[in-house]
Amino acid sequence: MHFEGQQTIKASQDAVWAFFMDPNKVASCAPGFKSMEILSPEHFKPTLAVGIGAVRATFTLDVHLVDMREPTHAGMQAHGVAAGSAVDMHSAMDLTPQSDTLTEMRWTADVNVRGTIASTGARLLESTARKLTDRFFDCLRQKLETAPTVPASQTE
Amino acid sequence: MTTSITGIGHSVKRKEDARFLRGKGTYVDDVKLPGMLFMDIVRSPYAHARILNIDASGALALPGVLAVITGKDLDAAGLAWMPTLMGDKQMVLPVDRVVFQAQEVAAVIATDRYIAADAVALVDVEYEPLTPVVDPQKALEPDAPLVRPDRENKTNHIWHWEAGDRARTDELFDQAEVVVKQDLYIPRIHVSSIETCGCVASFDRISGKLTIYMTTQAPHPIRTVFSLVSGIPEHKIRVISPDIGGGFGGKVPVYPGYVIATVASIQTGHPIKWIEDRSENLQADSFARDYHISAELAAKRDGTMLALRATTIADHGAFDAAANPSKFPAGLFSVITGSYQLQAAHVAVDGVYTNKPSGGVAYRCSFRVTEAVHTVERLVDTLADELEIDPAELRFKNFIQPDQFPYKSATGWEYDSGNYPAALQKAMDKIGYADLLREQAEKRARGELMGIGISTFTEIVGAGPSHTFDILGIKMFDSCEIRVHPTGSAIVRIGVQTQGQGHETTFAQIVAEELGLPVENITVEHGDTDTAPYGLGTYASRSTPTAGAATAVAALKIREKAKKIAAHILEVDADDLEWTNYQFQVKGVPSRAVTMKDVAFAAYTNHPQGMEAGLEAVDYYDPPNLTFPFGAYICVVDIDRGTGEVKIRRFVAVDDCGNIINPMIVDGQIHGGLTMGMAPSLLEAITYDEDGNIQQGSFMDYLLPTAMETPVWETDKTCTPSPHHPLGAKGVGESATVGAPPAIANAVVDALSHLGVTHIDIPITPWKVYQILEEHGVAEA
Amino acid sequence: MTHHVSFRINGQAYEADVEPRLLLVHFIREVAGLTGTHIGCDTTSCGACTVLVNGLPAKSCTLLAVQVNGAEISTVEGLEQNNQLHPIQEGFFEEHGLQCGYCTPGMMMTAVALLKENPDPTETEIRQAISGNLCRCTGYVNIVKSIQYAAKKMRDAEHEPVPVSAGAEGGQA
Repeated sequence: MHFEGQQTIKASQDAVWAFFMDPNKVASCAPGFKSMEILSPEHFKPTLAVGIGAVRATFTLDVHLVDMREPTHAGMQAHGVAAGSAVDMHSAMDLTPQSDTLTEMRWTADVNVRGTIASTGARLLESTARKLTDRFFDCLRQKLETAPTVPASQTE
Repeated sequence: MTTSITGIGHSVKRKEDARFLRGKGTYVDDVKLPGMLFMDIVRSPYAHARILNIDASGALALPGVLAVITGKDLDAAGLAWMPTLMGDKQMVLPVDRVVFQAQEVAAVIATDRYIAADAVALVDVEYEPLTPVVDPQKALEPDAPLVRPDRENKTNHIWHWEAGDRARTDELFDQAEVVVKQDLYIPRIHVSSIETCGCVASFDRISGKLTIYMTTQAPHPIRTVFSLVSGIPEHKIRVISPDIGGGFGGKVPVYPGYVIATVASIQTGHPIKWIEDRSENLQADSFARDYHISAELAAKRDGTMLALRATTIADHGAFDAAANPSKFPAGLFSVITGSYQLQAAHVAVDGVYTNKPSGGVAYRCSFRVTEAVHTVERLVDTLADELEIDPAELRFKNFIQPDQFPYKSATGWEYDSGNYPAALQKAMDKIGYADLLREQAEKRARGELMGIGISTFTEIVGAGPSHTFDILGIKMFDSCEIRVHPTGSAIVRIGVQTQGQGHETTFAQIVAEELGLPVENITVEHGDTDTAPYGLGTYASRSTPTAGAATAVAALKIREKAKKIAAHILEVDADDLEWTNYQFQVKGVPSRAVTMKDVAFAAYTNHPQGMEAGLEAVDYYDPPNLTFPFGAYICVVDIDRGTGEVKIRRFVAVDDCGNIINPMIVDGQIHGGLTMGMAPSLLEAITYDEDGNIQQGSFMDYLLPTAMETPVWETDKTCTPSPHHPLGAKGVGESATVGAPPAIANAVVDALSHLGVTHIDIPITPWKVYQILEEHGVAEA
Repeated sequence: MTHHVSFRINGQAYEADVEPRLLLVHFIREVAGLTGTHIGCDTTSCGACTVLVNGLPAKSCTLLAVQVNGAEISTVEGLEQNNQLHPIQEGFFEEHGLQCGYCTPGMMMTAVALLKENPDPTETEIRQAISGNLCRCTGYVNIVKSIQYAAKKMRDAEHEPVPVSAGAEGGQA
């Protein structure tokens, strides 16, 4: 599945970039976030509880930040398994400053789901994945537009 | 005077109902053995992947988990692969790569089923995903992912098979005045018996004997295969088919679960129970159909059909494991010439591997006859449409006539008997065909969508004669053993295996008829390979044609001996006796008679000197030919212009299965068969996305017909006995599943033909129809 | 951690300490040893596991044993009373309403509940009532006839609906 979107964020490009580089801040927007292991600034493993229709699964995602070109482009590769299901996601984010306090963020995400979640949740998969992806990027924007110095809170 | 014998032709109420009605059946999940452990299976989420590592430590650490079995463990014992029924091999557990989604990857053994399920979630499998191929046309392209690198031929093309006379067929097509063509896709479907598959495998270390309770329609061949694969001698293997909750072909294959459970039992010394979930059953077990067909019919302008040709791509999934007779990789597809006189025909089928589960004939389909009949019946209607001839009229014009039987078809089958015009006429009279045509014209003028569809099919069952048929080399005879006790009751053991067809009653009726003993005094047993005579099992509607014949012949052997004993009792010559009115009567002196009951007693107490005591016989019946049941079905549909929903208003099914043993049971088979013919026509299909994810992994998405969708089926009969079967019977279990889909599809196309619609592939879902209605501007908002 | 449950099945008391996640159908089949109730799916779709809980039909695969603490459960084994078949069992026998028998217990329990509520149902009402019970073998025609047979027999005899526990009112399903 391929999704893409665009947000205009009332924050400077540097602030947006810094936010994205902080795994704790990013994790706070992840759907069903439960906990996380941080192995390095660019490698972390969040545990997420996700449901599609009647199927709920707890995924431990292995996330790598890749293709980093500060402060304009960042990519993320994630692979996760839960009992009977597997998820692979590649996403990329491009930042373009509109002004000192306005940044345009364009994002793309390619998501592959296999296994029980994909087969039992087939009818709902695309709409749910789109919803979760939209929500994730919406959340990032909202968090950035509230006082950026306030430490990000856990969970969603 | 004997009590009335309710033998052949009586609607005897079923003996097996006594336990089922009370909830006292013994299905495999009801089997409990002391010390029994539970097995559950870790399955691949990927349709195609390399296995990098399996870490079972988490699972093994769970209290109650005794073992985790992987492909590497089986490989050490030479059991990672096993032969399929089609001469291919399939993985029991993969060593290094998985080839379809939900494929078995490892098995856990635990003390209870909940712990086993927990343990499955704790087995950590690391995969390297590979690109799957799910479209058989793409699989044939040169750069397609290779599904079976283990094979010598590095291609996804499995085999090429042909039948018929290509040269003559092409010649007729070249000369033909009219040629009509259809491309049809008959989707993959899944039989979904309400009971899933499972087993309890119990290896006794002291005796060295393996006992395995298994949902199997063919216990004897399974025993032989298990012996060959495991090395355990056959007399030390006992396969027991307990009560089976529906088979329909889905319980013929050897599933990896049975083999792994056996290995686990040998390893642990405990009985091992494995029962699959419905999701596992749908996602991994044997499927049916998945034929991509391109077919043509050549004819004269006056409607005389001349020739038929078809090419097919057969999507077989990752292994060639269809349960066909060995010389027929495409089953009996060449019966595609149907009920018609065709001068020539040619079919070519290519089997292809894809990253999907294996199978091919598991859905009451009589070895690909559903695919063949759907094709020819759609072609006939297409021709009727093209020539503007009424579809019934076109069929009457081209039927094989009653006086042409036995009839050698253009692809080499010898049809034993038939009377197609009588069946079609009966169906038309019963449904009021002329009135329906009038009604349709009136409705059409008002913009209402009503369709009438006909299907006149010839089935081909009773595999089969030893000169042509075998499964893995075992000839397809079947068997019956009858033993009559001193006090006049009998025990009958047969080589076939009921899964709801009522054998305990119908086979008792055959013996009742042939021996003059009451049905209630005849016990029928089957399914235990320790006691039943060797048979090939029940599928493809073969039980009555093969084991039914064996039963009649065994009974005849008993009657021959009985006659001599009767003569001895009556102190006459055997030639002075005749078997009539269920007794041995002196010719011309009916008051001097003895019953079989009298004879049975004498067989043990007063047999002639020089003759063996006892009264029993066994017969292994090699059928001289297949049998050819047939039918004429007419379906009336109304289409809702607001939703695209197809409602079956009426469905008349006239079946001819020759002489009928139990009319009540035959009607039950037809009702069930019609419902399993409607299901793929309107509701069911198994599809995959390009990642190889099944889109109907549970009953939430794979929709079986309920009592709400199923119409009231109207049934009737004609009777054209089989000339070669001892009872004149033909078998009927799958006729309705074969004959119904084209009647329904033809009806829907008929309802829309005035809009220019010439074909719709099944399943004909409301969404499909609605899109057509929209396209033609007749959808209601 | 286990919970103590007690309830009655076909009038007989059962008590056990069970895991909270134990499904009622597994309690019935394995703790109580009554294997007439069957499992046919894993998405509450097929109805093979239908039993009566305080008189109402319920899919026992989608109930936990702890949820029915204190209830009156009726299963197929409770239909026959004093060696006499329940009219529904007789109906299925007379009208050939079963073939493999696997869906039959669930089908009959649903029918019992229907006939208690509606002693003279139309064909449509019968089909609606059993629309949650899947059958692959029979095509439903004879199942409908079996239920009509039972309905008539019960109306003629002014039969009190049996089994004993199926008539109990109140309690939570």
